[in-house]
Amino acid sequence: MSHDDCQKVLEQVELYLDGELDGSLRAEIDRHLELCGPCMDHSEFQRHLKELLRAKCGCDQVPADLFERIRTALTEPAP
Amino acid sequence: MGRSSTASAGDPALRARFERDVLPMLPNLYSAALRLTRNPADAEDLVQEAYLRAYRGFGGFQEGTNLRAWMYRILTNTFINTYRKKQREPVTVQDDEIEDWYLYDKLGKSGVESSAESEVLDRIPDEEVQRALEALPEGFRMAVLLADVEGFSYKEIAEILDVPIGTVMSRLHRGRKALQKALWETVRERGLVTR
Repeated sequence: MSHDDCQKVLEQVELYLDGELDGSLRAEIDRHLELCGPCMDHSEFQRHLKELLRAKCGCDQVPADLFERIRTALTEPAP
Repeated sequence: MGRSSTASAGDPALRARFERDVLPMLPNLYSAALRLTRNPADAEDLVQEAYLRAYRGFGGFQEGTNLRAWMYRILTNTFINTYRKKQREPVTVQDDEIEDWYLYDKLGKSGVESSAESEVLDRIPDEEVQRALEALPEGFRMAVLLADVEGFSYKEIAEILDVPIGTVMSRLHRGRKALQKALWETVRERGLVTR
């Protein structure tokens, strides 16, 4: 595994984890990650960061009456 | 009263479809609104206003197109046009000096063992992660929110924010780096690493 390979993979990891790479490039990175521990660690860390945001920033408690308030507002005539 | 709003308010089928397809998005939209406005009162107003705008425009919405992206576009536009003026924008981050893999490297240098880095992240309290995201400049914050919290593709984000895909990529990359720096500061302040 050359340093250049790792460099190239690490540059693409963001796109890879965002699901934005096409099939062949994606497969190439999959193969590299299977064989390269340090790159896999980097990739897993980045993936974890994404999951952290999803888990902690998207699950706020909705105020109890907000749903009903919106439903009611829909029946009122537009200003 | 405009014709479209009369049509929306008076059409039971349309209203039923709106309630079935759009209202269930409320929990996610409310969280997104909180991250944008940074306070519950404004978040409620923002979501309510976005829903009203969406409902008025729903008659013209083509079934089969991306409803979720359409709704987030209305939310972000409503925020930009209505609420942003009231907000104090965070100072621009100087992100040029933030290296890629900033947080990973910092954790490694402070003695966190390889593969244990993620466990340190899990110990950061929810509110601190939220605060770190909310502290990002608006353009970065929206991109990271839409990609990482809401799971939109680059193409969808480009449509929601009405910017080129290259801009989405750059805002995401820079936003994530700035976020890593903010998280690292939290990790240190909270003593989650020993050195």
